[in-house]
Amino acid sequence: MLKSLKRLALVSSAFLALAAGAHAQQNVVWWDFLAGGDGVRMKALIDGFNAEHQGEIQIQGTTLEWGTPFYTKLQTSAAIGEGPDIATYHLSRIPLAVDSGTLSEITDEDLAGAGISDADFTAAASDAGKVDGTRYAVPFDQHGLILYYNKDMLGEAGLLDANGLPTGLDGLENFDAVLAKFTGDGKYGISTPTGDRYRTIYSLFGQQGGTMFDEAAGGFFPTDEDLAKLTTAIEVVKGWVDKGYTPVQVESPAALALFTSGQAPFFIMGNWEVPTFVDLHAKGELFEWGAVELPTLFENKAAWSDSHAFVIPANAGKEADPAKREAVMKVIAWMDQHSLDWAGAGHIPAFNAVRESAEFQALKPQSDYAGFADTAVFDPRTILAGPAAPLGDAWSNFINPATTGEIEPADAAAQMRDDLNGQL
Amino acid sequence: MLRDKRSEYLTALILVGPFVVIYGVLFVWPTIQMALLSFTKAPLIGPGEWVGWDNYVKILSHKLFHSAFWNTAYFVLLTVIPNTLVSLAIALAVNRLKGWQQGFVLACFFLPYILPVSVVFLTWNWIIDVQYGLVQYVVRLFNGGQPLSLTRTIPLFMPSVAFVTIWWTLGFNVLLFIAGLRSISPEIYEAASLDSAGRWRQFTRITWPLIWPVTALVLTIQLIAQLKIFDQVYLFSIGGRQDATIVLVQYVYKLAFQQNKGGEAATAAMLLFGMIIILSVLQYQLLRARGQK
Repeated sequence: MLKSLKRLALVSSAFLALAAGAHAQQNVVWWDFLAGGDGVRMKALIDGFNAEHQGEIQIQGTTLEWGTPFYTKLQTSAAIGEGPDIATYHLSRIPLAVDSGTLSEITDEDLAGAGISDADFTAAASDAGKVDGTRYAVPFDQHGLILYYNKDMLGEAGLLDANGLPTGLDGLENFDAVLAKFTGDGKYGISTPTGDRYRTIYSLFGQQGGTMFDEAAGGFFPTDEDLAKLTTAIEVVKGWVDKGYTPVQVESPAALALFTSGQAPFFIMGNWEVPTFVDLHAKGELFEWGAVELPTLFENKAAWSDSHAFVIPANAGKEADPAKREAVMKVIAWMDQHSLDWAGAGHIPAFNAVRESAEFQALKPQSDYAGFADTAVFDPRTILAGPAAPLGDAWSNFINPATTGEIEPADAAAQMRDDLNGQL
Repeated sequence: MLRDKRSEYLTALILVGPFVVIYGVLFVWPTIQMALLSFTKAPLIGPGEWVGWDNYVKILSHKLFHSAFWNTAYFVLLTVIPNTLVSLAIALAVNRLKGWQQGFVLACFFLPYILPVSVVFLTWNWIIDVQYGLVQYVVRLFNGGQPLSLTRTIPLFMPSVAFVTIWWTLGFNVLLFIAGLRSISPEIYEAASLDSAGRWRQFTRITWPLIWPVTALVLTIQLIAQLKIFDQVYLFSIGGRQDATIVLVQYVYKLAFQQNKGGEAATAAMLLFGMIIILSVLQYQLLRARGQK
C-alpha cells in the first residue's frame, strides 16, 4: 500500500515536472492553405523547425482549404480573437486584408528581433507586404507563370540550344509558327487550361506595358490604350484556340495530362506544378522536361506573379503577448532562412541570401526561370485584388470565356473594366 | 379535473419546451438578428450603421441579383416536377417487385443519396470532363465528333446540374412514395378489380388520390431544398463563369464572404427567406385545395 502510494507520488511529480517544462515552451498556432507538393514540403519544414526547437517553440500546423474558405475563416476568427498566431497569405490580398482589419502590423523592431530586415528581400516583395508604408506581411516566396516544355519533342524539332534550353520562341510570329509545327494528328502546340487563361492574358498585357489599375487616372484600365492592350492579349490566346493550337475547352487536370502524355510540347502553368513533374520523372514516368520564363511575345519580358507571405492576424480582444510574438517572428525568420527546401516546390525564395546561394543556382529547372521574379507583373494594389476576390471573378466571368468565343475580346475587356469599376 | 388539466399542460411543456428553446435560440433569434442586420451597412463581422431600406433598393436593382433569381427559378423548374414524376414512376415499378428484389432495387436507387454532395459532384465533374470524360463519347456522336464542356457551356449548365441533382436525390422520394403506396390497403384494389377497373383506372381513381398527401410532401420538401441550392452549382462552376450560373445562396455567399458586405448579404438572405415562405404557403394552399376535392 505504502509502496504504491509512493509510486503514485513519484509519477505525479514527474507529470508536474513535464507540465512545468511544457509551460515554458511557446506553442505557435499556424494556419496555411498549402496542399499537394506545397503542403508536403511545408510540413517537412514545420517538422524540421519543431525538431530543432524542442522545448522552446513548437508549431502546431493546420492546413485549411485554399481560397475563399481559408480567407473567410481567417477574417472571421481574427475578428472574434480566435485566429492563429501566424498564417500564410497571398501578398496580392494584403490591401483587402488591411481594409477589413484582419492583420496585425509587423514593425521594424519585430523584424530586427528575429535578425532580419527589409534589405533581405527584393524591394518589390517587401513593398507588396506594406500598405501606406506600414508592414503587414513578410514575404516567403515569389511564384508565377512559366513555360514547361518537352525536351524530347523540342530536340527532334531542332528547337533546343547547346544547354538544352528552347530557342526561337520570342516574338508573336515565331511562337505561333512553333505552335503550328506541333499541331495536328490529335496533337496540340500548347496546353492551356480554359479556366486559367487569364493569367497568360495578364502576362501578355504586362508585356505590352499595360496599366491595369490607377486610382488617380480613373480606376481599372484607365485609358483606351490599356483596354486595347488587354484586347490584343485576349486575341493572342483566342488565336491559339481558333487555330487549334490548344483545345477549346480543357479542365486543369486534363490540360496537365495533355502535356505529360506527350500530346503537347508546351504547357503554360504556375511553377507550383514543378513537384508533380519532378516526382513523375523520378518514377520514370515522364520524358525529359524543362521549364523557362514565358516567351516574350511583345516589347517587354513579363509574367503574372504573386507571393506567399507570412502574416500575424490581429486577434481582436486578445492581449498582445511579447514572448509569443518573439516566437512567431523566430518562426518566420527560420522559414525564410530555410526556404531552399521550399524552392523544391518550384517557388523562387523571396529571401535574397537563399535565392543568390550556389545551392539554389544549382537547382534545375528553378534557376532557369528564376529571372521572372525581376520582371513579374503582380495584381494591382487594390482591395478588389487577390485570389478568390472580385478581380479573380471578373477574370473568369469575362476573360476566360472570351478565349472560347463566348464573348468578343473587345467586349470582354470593356465588360471587365466596367464590372470592376462598378465595385470600387 | 383542474389538476389533470394542469399536469397535461406540464407534460406538454416538458415535451415541447426543449424544442421551442432550441428553435428559438438557433433559428428565431438569428433570424431576427439577420432582419435587423439587413437594414444596416455592416461588414461581415462588426458594427454597422442604420441605412433603412437602402440595401433592399440596392439589391433588388442589382443585375447579379436578377441573374441569381432567374437561375434559381430555372433550376427549381428543371428539378421539382421531373424529380417527382420520375420518383413516382420508379416507386410504382419497384412496388410491383417482391422480397429481396425490391430491397435490392430500392437500395440501388437510394445509394447515391447517402453520399455527400461534394463526392457526387466531383465524381460527375470527372464523368463529364471535356477531354477524358465518359459522357464525351456520347456527346461526340451528337456534336459532330467534337467534345463539349457541360459546365462551361452556359445553356447546358443548369440542365446538367439538374440532371445530377435528380439522379442523386430521387432515392429519397422513391422511399417516401413506396411508404405511401404500402399504406393503401390491398382490399381496395381487390374490390376495384372485381368491379373490372383496369390498371390505369386503378391508378387515377385509387392510387393517385390516396398518395396525394405524400406527393404534396415530396413537392414541398423539394421546393424548399432546391430554392436553397448552392453546393452543386458552386462545385460545378469552379473555374467557370460563376456569374452566368449564379444562384441565390451563392449570391449571398459572394456578398458576405468575398465582398465583406454583411448588411447587403443579410438583405439578400431575407429576400430569399421571404420567397421561400411565400412559395411554401402558396403551395400549401394549392395542395390543400387539391386534397379536399
